[in-house]
Amino acid sequence: MSVIRLKPVDAVVVGVGWTGAIAARELTKAGLTVVGLERGPHRTPAEDFALPGIRDELRYAVRQELFQDTATETVTLRHSRAETALPMRRWGAFTPGTGTGGAGSHWNGMHWRYLPYDLNPRSHIEGRYGRDAIPPEMTIGDFGVGWDEIEPYYDRFEKLCGVSGKAGNIRGRKIPGGNMLEGPRSSEFPNAPLARTASGDLFARTAEKLGYNPFPLPASNASAVYTNFEGATLGACTYCGHCERFGCETNAKASPNSTLMPALLADKRFTLRAGAYVKDIVYDRRARKATGVRYVDTRTGEEYEQPANLVILGGYVFTNTLLMLVSGIGRPYDPATGKGAVGRNYCYQTGGGTQVFVRDAAFNPFMGAGALGTNIDEYNGDNFDHGGLGFFGGSTMGVTTGGGRPILNRAVPPGTPRWGRAWKQATADWYGRSLTIGASGAQYAHRENYLDLDPTYRDALGRPLLRMTFNYRENDYRLSEYAASVTERIARAMDATIVAAPKPRRGDFHSVPYQSTHNTGGTIMGSDPRSSVVNRYLQSWDADNLFILGASVFPQNTSYNPTGTVGALAYWATDAIVNRYLKAPGALVQA
Amino acid sequence: MTGKILVALLVFVASPAFAGSGAGPVPDGYKPCAACHDAGPSGLGPDLKGVVGRPAGSVAGFRYSGPLKRSGIIWTPEKLRAFLVDPQSVIPGNRMPFAGVPANTASEIITYLQGANRVEK
Repeated sequence: MSVIRLKPVDAVVVGVGWTGAIAARELTKAGLTVVGLERGPHRTPAEDFALPGIRDELRYAVRQELFQDTATETVTLRHSRAETALPMRRWGAFTPGTGTGGAGSHWNGMHWRYLPYDLNPRSHIEGRYGRDAIPPEMTIGDFGVGWDEIEPYYDRFEKLCGVSGKAGNIRGRKIPGGNMLEGPRSSEFPNAPLARTASGDLFARTAEKLGYNPFPLPASNASAVYTNFEGATLGACTYCGHCERFGCETNAKASPNSTLMPALLADKRFTLRAGAYVKDIVYDRRARKATGVRYVDTRTGEEYEQPANLVILGGYVFTNTLLMLVSGIGRPYDPATGKGAVGRNYCYQTGGGTQVFVRDAAFNPFMGAGALGTNIDEYNGDNFDHGGLGFFGGSTMGVTTGGGRPILNRAVPPGTPRWGRAWKQATADWYGRSLTIGASGAQYAHRENYLDLDPTYRDALGRPLLRMTFNYRENDYRLSEYAASVTERIARAMDATIVAAPKPRRGDFHSVPYQSTHNTGGTIMGSDPRSSVVNRYLQSWDADNLFILGASVFPQNTSYNPTGTVGALAYWATDAIVNRYLKAPGALVQA
Repeated sequence: MTGKILVALLVFVASPAFAGSGAGPVPDGYKPCAACHDAGPSGLGPDLKGVVGRPAGSVAGFRYSGPLKRSGIIWTPEKLRAFLVDPQSVIPGNRMPFAGVPANTASEIITYLQGANRVEK
């Protein structure tokens, strides 16, 4: 079929989720004409996230209406190079999004900043524990961006989203009640914390008794009406308990749809094309430039080429990595030699936690919000001495009340039958009387964990599926065991009726139970073009007019939810495009 | 052919005009209402200009819930006050995601909205 060539534009953005919307907004403000290509439908809160339809747990949480369609695209998975990978035909461990807003429309809203340590762990660990402390197979790197450099962009993204929270460190001044272990902030959160739940109260009391400093989890669930700098007004959270997997009926959960799209769509320099499924990047190898992208209109099957002076990848981790691989840009990573960069350092997360049952409690779990949590960070990052522990990285721990929806939330004590009268009775007895102390843990890069093209399976456009070769490694098991033991210690201090055995990650990575949509890596940032795909400004080493935004640039994962850093880096990179690249096009870092 | 498809794909939305539904300064009690009701074309709720005295569910083009459309209510100040204090008890099953406000705040909101009615006339 012939490809229809369109009129060139200044910039084309692939994917209109958080990063694509941020880039499109910043570039149109700078006067550029921008086309946003989104393979999924265009969704607006007023039409698509309205009551009563949006609170349909079966439709959205179980049948996964807002996620990518695995009949069109998915990933294949194997645990080692010796295995044959098989496609994931139903999302489980993670749930990539599609449509305007992307996964940013159905996330929980946990809006963290990384610890300063998380940005440059290799340098930090080598400095504190010695140059040989990091095992050779642990291929972690530095983001290469300093805390003072990125802080203003964290601040900007929080103000876009109206994050609810309590600062624990403003310019070095420690503030009890906030996270005093966080990096110094330039200002307080835009909104006060959400109201703490009864389970949060119990966790906070117990944590304080043990000498820890609990704090409210930073939430992109607005605790009060908030108008951001783009003129978008967010409503106040009603604690309806339908965040993750759902859109927000009150615009209290910050999403690209609620915070950015109204301003973006009102700007005539921006054109949104929904149902535009990008197939590959057009790459001029000799000139080392991306000259545009090719896409298929999902409604007609017609193929288009959109030429552009600037190409911005704003897809999910898998989309960005797949596009680089199928377009032949950069050298694919080969675990046998350790050479090549595209697909390298794919990471996920570890976790664990302890379930607690309290006979006289009334936790009312149906009142919740996606990021309504109370956490401690004493065992996160390198906030504790790793000497002799046999692992690096840490976990943020706490209790979150995301909403006790009836189908997927049936906590019952260990030993309860899985069906029948006894199960029903246990559900009734314990629904309002249980909580989980969760640990969300880092997962560090390993030489054998990577992404490449699957030799067997293809997607709807005929491209190879992205193949994930991934398993937990020694560092992950130890980190998870350690976190589980801490959560158990806190649980045992709660005067609970029943404390279940903690659940650290053991055995092979399991793709079925939900863990987190926090996949990272594949097109990582770094200072060496041989081992990274983009420089510290997220500019491709192989084409100076190609920028890659999103968690695919993370050199490794941390314990935290990545969105805060994804947004901050998107602002950081687009600032470099507008204020440096457009003035003097070329490589922003010399290789 | 191609041109037509592309024109159909272009999405332009006019810049929202944040005029407000009332008259005079916006009272604090009304701010949570404004988040949905005065947000222009991207708003989640219907325009409240002239709401006092009009039949429930009568803004053209807004997709009301069945219970609200069928309610037969005229928004007198008394009815509106009761609704603002406890929306679900006045119209069970309506789809406004709002828990309600204290009676004195409801009165403040209605006074503000009535100001708008006078301006409209």
